[in-house]
Amino acid sequence: MSRKYLLLILSFGALLAVPSVIHDTFFLRIITEAILWIGLAISWDVLAGYTGYLNFGHGAFFGIGAYTTALLMKLCGWSFFLALPFAGLAAGALAVIAGIPTLRLKGAYFAIATWALSRAIQQVALVMDITGGPDGMRLPTFLHPDFFYYLMLGVVAAIFALYWFLLEKAPFGLKVKAIREDDQSAMSLGLNPTWIKLQAFILSAVPTGILGAIYAYWITYIDPASVLGDLVTDQAVVMAVFGGLGTLIGPAIGAIIIYLFKTYFWAYLSDYQVLYLIILGGVIAASVVFLPNGLWGTISGYLQTRNAVKQKPVPQEKIDKGVHHV
Amino acid sequence: MELLPQATVDGLLIGGIYITIAIGFSLAYGVMHIIDFAVGEWIMLGAFLGYYLNLWSVLDPFILLPAIFLVFAVIGYLIQPLVYRVISGKKGNPVLMGLVFTFGLALMFRGAALTGFGFYSHSIPSAISQDSFFIEMGSVFITIPYVRLAGLLYAIAITLVLHFVLKKTDFGRAVRALSQHREASGLMGINAKRISSYVYGIYVGLSAMTGVIIGSIFTLNAQMGGEYTILAFFIVVLAGMGYLAGVPWAAFLLGLVQSFFLIYLNPSYTLMAVFGILFTILLISPKGLFGRGV
Repeated sequence: MSRKYLLLILSFGALLAVPSVIHDTFFLRIITEAILWIGLAISWDVLAGYTGYLNFGHGAFFGIGAYTTALLMKLCGWSFFLALPFAGLAAGALAVIAGIPTLRLKGAYFAIATWALSRAIQQVALVMDITGGPDGMRLPTFLHPDFFYYLMLGVVAAIFALYWFLLEKAPFGLKVKAIREDDQSAMSLGLNPTWIKLQAFILSAVPTGILGAIYAYWITYIDPASVLGDLVTDQAVVMAVFGGLGTLIGPAIGAIIIYLFKTYFWAYLSDYQVLYLIILGGVIAASVVFLPNGLWGTISGYLQTRNAVKQKPVPQEKIDKGVHHV
Repeated sequence: MELLPQATVDGLLIGGIYITIAIGFSLAYGVMHIIDFAVGEWIMLGAFLGYYLNLWSVLDPFILLPAIFLVFAVIGYLIQPLVYRVISGKKGNPVLMGLVFTFGLALMFRGAALTGFGFYSHSIPSAISQDSFFIEMGSVFITIPYVRLAGLLYAIAITLVLHFVLKKTDFGRAVRALSQHREASGLMGINAKRISSYVYGIYVGLSAMTGVIIGSIFTLNAQMGGEYTILAFFIVVLAGMGYLAGVPWAAFLLGLVQSFFLIYLNPSYTLMAVFGILFTILLISPKGLFGRGV
């Protein structure tokens, strides 16, 4: 366990040093966006992997955070840091509204309803005047790549730490997993499944909204296609499923691999952008069939088996004497 | 007010077509307990096959329907074992995996269609596309395009055939038994795998055929799938998951909602209204309008 922590802290320290090593803003931008995708993939996985409810409208929460920030900054003239909490709040409120009727039901209803919700919000953002319709919105510019790098890193690290604590260390994680495995038994132990699932949904939505806010201020231009489009959801799903559902490390690894692949793909094969959708879909379908536990789940399962094999067998005499431990 | 009869007739004509989408979808859910996110993509692929066959053979799309049904029924029959393998897996959460799997399939189909067919919208011309007949009663004036009427007749015919098959044949009895109780039906000698394959084939074939009808009434393009997936979900949830008898009513209701938004309100808010109704139904009566879903 301690080796795992050390590795995490070391990689965080290495990431802190990145802007002083890499001065090329293009590469810094790629790393910043990779970190953003780590945040989006783990926040999707909190609901999907830990509670078993698939949010096929993850992009709606990202977009609502982005649009809330843009509207508050442009119309009310608020500063970014004042608007940031409201982006999280808006996403959380949307989660409560969408979650109350659907989280009582089976996962299929939830998947459908969130998907329909994201489509509906997309359509509304396209026709409303206040959001600029298909033209999108421009935010006040603040061109400091280092600032956004540290902000993104800090926020995603905080999200990761919060999830780690709540889901792997605190009783909340046990409650969530108990409900995922068997909600009837969990209910008989006095847990309220709908309330706990709603908490998990909020836990997934609020950070997504905040990431949307940072994205909007960073890129300075948002439109329905870029922040509310299906691609946000599609990519978060691929990353989490490919990396390994129900863990925090898995989706993070998946996010890095898929994002780097996407960057490479769009840089060299930009004429075939729609091919990217085929690849995303293919990776999802193939992961489900061949890697049901994802990349990380498969690797860690393999390592566990190998370590178990490495352990020396108990000598026969000791078993005869009734001593089972070595 | 003079538009009210027209709006109602339009809504019922559109709603009729949705019945065929939702019946196949509901059937597949009843038998395999799978929510297929690719339903809209099957519609889209069917529409494109109809479009190209029509270009190539210059036959009327309504004559091409059986061929398209056959092609896609075979595809569905062949793909089903893979879907079955995913949803009956021992590891993890099979229902969840089924959803993720069909979501991936849908993405693949959409990407493939965009790559192969491009972004343009087409339509499939039928011999009767241009004509319509009029009903005039005093100040009330209703236009009914022949092609929409043909679409409604097609929907009614399909519904009646399916009703007959499900109620009167051995195959239909097996399908109903399977959706009632999987294990017990297995003990009665019903081959769950084979029946599921047939049902999935029928569902895919029906969706593809309906795609051709939609393509000849409205337009078709590679991105149309998502919209029809939402509409199919909407009908099935409103009717109650797996409750076939509720499907026509829910479909007509959806058609009416769409046509009223189109005529009286802003059609851009149709999806929001559809979502609002879905949401209210889930809040009040999650088992559908009739409380008969599973």
